[in-house]
Amino acid sequence: MSGGYKQQPGSGGNTVRKDGKRVAGKLKFQPPGAGGSNPKMKERDLDFIPESVGGKEPQPAGSHVHDRLRTGTVVGKEVALVDANPKVIGKAEYGDDVRLGGEIIGKILRSPHHYAKIKSIDTSKVEALPGVIAVATGADAPKTFGVLPVTKDEHAMAIEKVRHMGDLVACVAAVDEETALHALNLFEVEYEILDAEFDPRKGIEDVDEPIHWRGKYHVGNTNIQKRVFQEFGDRSLVESPAASSSRKWRFEGVHHGFTEPHAVVAEWDATGRLQLYTPQQVPHYTHRALSTVLDVPMHQINVIRTFVGGGFGGKSDPFPHEMCAAILARKAGRPVRITFDREEVYWINRGRHPSYIEVKIDADEQGRVAGFDIDALIDGGAFASFGHVTSYYNGVLATSPYELGSFHYTGARVWTNKPASGAMRGHGAVNTRCAVEVGMDEIAEQLAVDPIDLRLANLLPPHCRTITGFRITSNGMREALTKVREGSDWDNKFRKLPLGKGIGIGCGFFISGSGLPIHWDPNRFPHATVHIQIDMDGGVTVHTGAADIGQGSTTAVAQVVSEVLALPLDMIHVRSHESDTSPVDLGSYSSRVTFMNCNAAIRAAMEIREQLLNAAWEMTGYHPTTLVLNDRRIYYKHDPAIGVSYLEALHKAQEDVGALIARGAYRSPPMGGVHKGAAAGLAPAYSFSAYVAEVDVDVETGIVKCTNVWAAHDCGKALNPLSVRGQIIGSCHMGLGQVLSEKMVYGRTGHLQNANLLQYQIPSVHEMPHVTPIIVESSDPEGPFGAKEAGEGPLLPILPAVVNAVYDAIGVRPNTLPLTPDQMWSDIQKKMKELKIKDPRKLESPRLEHGNLQPVLEQRAEEHRIRDGKRQRTEDTSAYVNGALFGFDPNIPMEDQVEGWRSATEPEPEKLAELGIAGKAWLKQEQRKMGGDN
Amino acid sequence: MLKGYFTKHRLGPIMVGEEFVNMIPKAKGQIWKACVNGDAVEVIALSNAVLLDVLRDNVGTLGVKRGCDLGTCGCCAVMVDGEPRLSCLCLAGDAEGSEITTVEGLADGHHLSPIQNCFAEYGGSQCGFCTPGFLISAQALLNQTDDPSEEEIAKAIEGNLCRCTGYQQISDSIRAAASILRGEKENKNPTITPHSNPHPTGPEEPNMPPGHAR
Repeated sequence: MSGGYKQQPGSGGNTVRKDGKRVAGKLKFQPPGAGGSNPKMKERDLDFIPESVGGKEPQPAGSHVHDRLRTGTVVGKEVALVDANPKVIGKAEYGDDVRLGGEIIGKILRSPHHYAKIKSIDTSKVEALPGVIAVATGADAPKTFGVLPVTKDEHAMAIEKVRHMGDLVACVAAVDEETALHALNLFEVEYEILDAEFDPRKGIEDVDEPIHWRGKYHVGNTNIQKRVFQEFGDRSLVESPAASSSRKWRFEGVHHGFTEPHAVVAEWDATGRLQLYTPQQVPHYTHRALSTVLDVPMHQINVIRTFVGGGFGGKSDPFPHEMCAAILARKAGRPVRITFDREEVYWINRGRHPSYIEVKIDADEQGRVAGFDIDALIDGGAFASFGHVTSYYNGVLATSPYELGSFHYTGARVWTNKPASGAMRGHGAVNTRCAVEVGMDEIAEQLAVDPIDLRLANLLPPHCRTITGFRITSNGMREALTKVREGSDWDNKFRKLPLGKGIGIGCGFFISGSGLPIHWDPNRFPHATVHIQIDMDGGVTVHTGAADIGQGSTTAVAQVVSEVLALPLDMIHVRSHESDTSPVDLGSYSSRVTFMNCNAAIRAAMEIREQLLNAAWEMTGYHPTTLVLNDRRIYYKHDPAIGVSYLEALHKAQEDVGALIARGAYRSPPMGGVHKGAAAGLAPAYSFSAYVAEVDVDVETGIVKCTNVWAAHDCGKALNPLSVRGQIIGSCHMGLGQVLSEKMVYGRTGHLQNANLLQYQIPSVHEMPHVTPIIVESSDPEGPFGAKEAGEGPLLPILPAVVNAVYDAIGVRPNTLPLTPDQMWSDIQKKMKELKIKDPRKLESPRLEHGNLQPVLEQRAEEHRIRDGKRQRTEDTSAYVNGALFGFDPNIPMEDQVEGWRSATEPEPEKLAELGIAGKAWLKQEQRKMGGDN
Repeated sequence: MLKGYFTKHRLGPIMVGEEFVNMIPKAKGQIWKACVNGDAVEVIALSNAVLLDVLRDNVGTLGVKRGCDLGTCGCCAVMVDGEPRLSCLCLAGDAEGSEITTVEGLADGHHLSPIQNCFAEYGGSQCGFCTPGFLISAQALLNQTDDPSEEEIAKAIEGNLCRCTGYQQISDSIRAAASILRGEKENKNPTITPHSNPHPTGPEEPNMPPGHAR
């Protein structure tokens, strides 16, 4: 199409004179950048181009706004992670693999006491030890930091008090590890030991020395860090329920168990800037915290994310050891590397909160859920971490997928003298979800109906609002339930298996990105930004701050750019490691990366696409609406022979401007209510999942073995089915650990007894059931190509599915996790006492005779299925809010329809006495209301 | 009252008068020789050094990962004379003079071994930290048999912890690698994998009637 490339402008034409001599400077040559091993354009892959734009990819959930950008290149295809090769050859650099010239080794002195005042620290002997290069204590960094701006309660090293055993007291850097370890023994620290508290139930009582002091916002003299009250809906519905389930649960603390221990390398470079290498899920928060603690502006700090050896939420806080390394390196003038051993990993913790949860579910005579009453007391350990949010999530993430008549939640997070709890995969939603789903199972039993039908008849439809005002868009819950029911042959197994064999169902609901960024005004900054840069060679460099922690975010971003530009994946290079070059990104938490970063990447790629199309327009004369992008070429849609190569179009587009540069950003739409805490749990989209688990329970030993799992997850659109399946199976593995074997054991003296991977029992290959991952695609209208999250949501349903299966197997409903053989055996014994039998083999597995309600529910489910299909495909765009099932009009505010419709975030004083253990936190008053402390 | 971390390192130097005296004399450095990934290696290591430390800090094979130091996670697995061993539980002295293969030694230059390609292709590696250990365990199995049963695979990797994948895609990868070894599938060859030309040619013949195209 083009006239070729010449060195010299001029008449063009022949470069060889008639006499056969070549003309200098007029040589034609290949376009610079051309070359490679597949010189021919491939045909369009219609199987991966949606029906709505003329392809063959079926779209049962309707068309999507991004369909016109699909080129059939990679989206929806199974691709290996783009960073897989460095990992399989051992060249991927994780935290401890960063070895800088002249590095010294840092070690941390940790508190040997659970709770104590530091009276003095003498470092003179440490400093005198040959080989010690730098020493630091809390006095070197007095400023506080924390992942949430409202609860900055951490120091690089303890200042006045140590708050848990293993809390950081001081740190030292020496020429080698041995010297550094020896130096730790030479610190002379004088402590005044305080009364430690380990029982979260006592956290709501007044104590002499609260673990933190929040001034006028401190609740009484207690250790309450955060309390939540929410009451929504028509509370009169729960007054005379037809069925009611009330259970008190105990969940132990669970650790992420990532295989890579924390590690950090800090170096102040020759220009005086800090270069910090750290395996972080959320490098940006570390960046901010470093700036605060070190008193250095952010632009003088470069946070370099190394490969991250697993995160799961455990590497998302800014960590004190990161500050320590920076402080030591500044003092020493040399790079400092600090690597944790496995025990230290447990001391920094941030795992799932140990929780006491009480859930009461009421259902009316039509099998509708009249109310959820949830009370969650969560043990936050010594620091706030993400806990402010967790306290909300324990309640509000239970408000879907079922339509509720009313919702009542009291939650409290208390400080104890244990390593801090924080965010872990399925943040805050996992424990309550387990309790709720087991409750639903119990309700189904009382109503004598199938639990799947009960669920199917109570689901919220697509495009609706939940009782607390979350905006649900796509919703694949119904399809997920239907598919696991078919896949597992549920109808022939449920309540029909012999003693010791059982099958159970569980559902899940999770956010796909948090609607409001934690750290800033969303009106001033987008959630995610992606830059794309293409120079003359045609290679596409994508800059993003998305932190790949193994979930494949780099691959996902590369995929969407590849798809929009119709370029093979090997032409896309993602740079996401350095804060110097990557645009600000909030990092990998709350399952936001695919949704937000890919949306930003699509926008950036669209800008490039437009420039290329305009260039092709100029060259071919065909308007962009009639041009097609396909495999490195742009051509007239009715004739692939008329067109230009990608490289030609690129060179045309950059004639006047040089390299093409584009950026795209994502900001979530405004949403949510106005009540206190309305922002918690808001997300631009939600994922749904349903699992069926099969278990074998040995009634004589209490050993529970999960044998089969059918796992359906609605991820909107699987950009990379291989990764989505990997996430589903991996989530299943982690959840299975929590339900069967994992717990952090604190002894009577509060000491963590199993801070190693031998006694902290992560399932090995032998404990894994066979998982059948089922991908449900509900095509989210706002997701990138319809995609939603797949990383956290799939963890939720496995816990209740297993617990419900255990009931199906032996008629015992446990309410303390994990179901270790000893726990299970004591549950079995309790049941035997209740039944007055001596031989556990005489236990009877429950059976089900369908009651009168069963056909009613089946019919309602069928009606709803048709309703949901229409709403999903937007054939029906009428408003729907939670409450419509109870006969309310979705177009009129609820308060105007029902007298007594509650929407409260503080308890009524006269009802304080009825509240559960977490609710008791409301018996106390804040200091400012007591007229006390300033 | 204190166990574990806080007492573990108590045998440090103490002050005697004005001087630091080591309670236990420091181990001596000595020459350690072995054949690592086909290269003869000679480094100075402490006489009580653990193989993992020597491989990471002295030899520089950082692909050998440290996950737990207790033999519980399997990330540090290497092959010593063809046998998979946990290098964190192995004294360097015990492996002196032996042939050691780390994950870096599985590939032949740019030609990845079947097991490496399959881990990438079948999702056997997510965060990748446990991958080196799994690759060694899997390769040791495949050295024994090219048609491992489900049970044999599970047994081979039972000492390795993976927190990301739930093992299923790891088993898939091992099975796929075995089928390459049996000759049922081709191993990916990096010299012929396409490096996309950004300037490809399209179809030469217009499919429109003559005169339609310009």
